[in-house]
Amino acid sequence: MKNRWMAFVLGAVALAGPALAQNVGTPLPLPPQLEKDLAAKAANVTEVTLNKDMLGFASKFMNDKDKDQAQVNQLIQGLEGIYVRDYEFDKEGEYSMEDIEKVRQAIETPDWTPMVRDRERKGAEMTDVMIKMVNGETKGMFILSAEPKELAIVLILGNIHLDQLGQLKGLSGLSALGNVEKDVKSNDKEKAKDKGGDQ
Amino acid sequence: MLCLAIVVPWIAHAAGGGGFDGVVSGIEREYHVHATRIPFMGLCSLIAGTATHGGVGGVRVAEFEHFDKAADGDELNRMVAEKLGQGWQRMIRETSRHGNEQTLIFAHREGRRMGLFILDLDGNEMDVVQVSVDPDHLKETIGKYDHHEGNDGQESD
Repeated sequence: MKNRWMAFVLGAVALAGPALAQNVGTPLPLPPQLEKDLAAKAANVTEVTLNKDMLGFASKFMNDKDKDQAQVNQLIQGLEGIYVRDYEFDKEGEYSMEDIEKVRQAIETPDWTPMVRDRERKGAEMTDVMIKMVNGETKGMFILSAEPKELAIVLILGNIHLDQLGQLKGLSGLSALGNVEKDVKSNDKEKAKDKGGDQ
Repeated sequence: MLCLAIVVPWIAHAAGGGGFDGVVSGIEREYHVHATRIPFMGLCSLIAGTATHGGVGGVRVAEFEHFDKAADGDELNRMVAEKLGQGWQRMIRETSRHGNEQTLIFAHREGRRMGLFILDLDGNEMDVVQVSVDPDHLKETIGKYDHHEGNDGQESD
């Protein structure tokens, strides 16, 4: 009887292997069906999924003697993950405002604070930057950038130094971070101006 | 019981198999193409391992020439993920409908080492590579060459 059970377990494990071979889900607030639909419609798709393990692996190749690489290494050390989805479409109207709302609603929890909200061309182009603050420290950043023919979603989790963030713009799919750094700095300047004006 | 233990995994393997060979045979079956295996790859892998002091090992390469079928990114990705099996995580996926371009990079933690699986389709050619990397040893080896380059640069100045 015991042998039969052993054989059953061995057989089940052997046959169930392929069924278990699925990717572990990402923390991206992107409904799986929407992700699938966007990928199916897009002409070019870029997906980057780097968890802490992968980032740790990448950081080992950084040369600490090089000033820039040492800074990037320091930045990566504190991160929990980088997740990017970038979709480029051949024509306009391949995604709807409802799709954008679904993504935005998924991230709009009390943990996340809007930082930049940019709207252009009667709502045809928009950029949302949200940050996750825990005990006064930045623990996450979410970027949603929508253009008529391109949709980019970036989620960075972990300890983030906003002033160093632009250094990651060389990584695949993260070129938008250079602009975010500028947006954040100009946002800070405007706030400082407003404060100065009030006084 | 012993027969079952041998036969059941063999049936599962025959039904599709897994890992690098599973992916290659899956592509061959799905797209009716034939992989060109690189001769003496085991020897090349051994030499790479020795030259990098264990930094790089387990090199597997398969090349598909005349890949004329249009590859559906979703299907290809699903098939590769299934065949590689549990523990492999996709790091990068790039798909371009124009020009039949697909890039998939999967990684798998192997203790101190990291297993990397790379599939690249560019037009009519697909390359599939698997390699096991020890980042510490590899960085050491790369560092040696960086050092030499640095010296050369100084000399030429």
